Amino acid sequence: MSVLIIAEHDNKELNQLTLNAVTAARELSDDISMFVAGSECHDVVSQCCKIEGLSTVLVCDSPHYDNAMAENTANLLASVVEEFDHILATSTTSSKNIMPRLAAHIDVQAISDVSTIIDESTFKRPIYAGNVIATIKSSDVKKVITIRSTAFDAAKNEGGSAEVVNIDALSDLGLASFVSEEVAKSDRPELTAAGIVISGGRGMGSGENFTLLDGIADKLGAAIGASRAAVDAGFVPNDMQVGQTGKIVAPDLYIAVGISGAIQHLAGMKDSKVIAAINKDDEAPIFSVADYGLVGDLFKQLPEFEQAL
Amino acid sequence: MLAALMGIGQATFASEIIFDEKDLKVTREVDGGLQTLGLKTPAVVTADLRLNEPRYASLPNIMKAKKKPIDIISIADLGVDAENRVQLIGVELPPERKAGIKVDDVAQLVDKLKNEAKVI
Repeated sequence: MSVLIIAEHDNKELNQLTLNAVTAARELSDDISMFVAGSECHDVVSQCCKIEGLSTVLVCDSPHYDNAMAENTANLLASVVEEFDHILATSTTSSKNIMPRLAAHIDVQAISDVSTIIDESTFKRPIYAGNVIATIKSSDVKKVITIRSTAFDAAKNEGGSAEVVNIDALSDLGLASFVSEEVAKSDRPELTAAGIVISGGRGMGSGENFTLLDGIADKLGAAIGASRAAVDAGFVPNDMQVGQTGKIVAPDLYIAVGISGAIQHLAGMKDSKVIAAINKDDEAPIFSVADYGLVGDLFKQLPEFEQAL
Repeated sequence: MLAALMGIGQATFASEIIFDEKDLKVTREVDGGLQTLGLKTPAVVTADLRLNEPRYASLPNIMKAKKKPIDIISIADLGVDAENRVQLIGVELPPERKAGIKVDDVAQLVDKLKNEAKVI
């Protein structure tokens, strides 16, 4: 049994969510390798080598592996997976772009969003917006899997001493090219990695009112999220969306402000350890999952909350 | 998967598509923000929720659609192996989260978060 994990990175920093896939892999095997494809990505390679539990880091450094384009990356992956039984990645927009393509190349059925590993071919995964947990068994020779970051802890990123193995680049397929990227910049922690998340919903009323959350987030060191209603209303950009079609988060504390708690939103945050909710409607569904509910006017309560911290 | 089988390019989570003669420019919603790709056609593009407003069929068109011939192709005719390799062996409900308590004011909320839940 051997496992290959796809490292997600920007050629400088390893995406910390990759560490959650390492923990999942350790439930499958002791023979774990990591795959790093990029351009001028040596910093990432040295970070990967230090991850606890890895034996080998497969590296392919070539200009056309910049930006993790699915076409070239999946093609290269297909050429190296021969010796592996499981190919794992953390479920992100990047892996959801690459892994199905890899699965098609090697003729297997991809398995997404795994939350529990039962044995080498049996897994649990949430379906219907997390309202049902399905147990599935794969009869494919190789398993191509994405895992839910919130279901596995992050592996330690120090103490390891994996060996680097360089692999040859394949030719550029030339099917797609990278044009540009608009990455939201923020000094706050990543939504998916933050210990505390404070999210605003339609009840915030406008994009300007989201500044009411800034002071609280600063004091708590929290990330700021939003419900789909707030994103669709144009209050905030889509990368802040928490929910079934946004990011799945499971922080120690989730504070929902002016969010009614549609099932699609709950799907993205109900695994949080503690949930607090502020909403003016005492019948709002968010209160049925909240440990602490406060009914009232958020415009009055948010400044009070910030003061009290 | 279709794009891989056809050996063509792909753009998933598309929120904007621009046709530029025979190439495509697609903006994708990715975790960090937005990414724009150039694709040679043919290509496979999957739509994100915010790409557009779905167009609903009008009643006259629904009536007309009923009269269209339907051509049924069997899997055997296509000569492909469509056997499911992932088998569903059980379903269960996730552990239910119980509703907690309602607090009276901000001071009590902060107190509970600090002293009872110990998360701030």
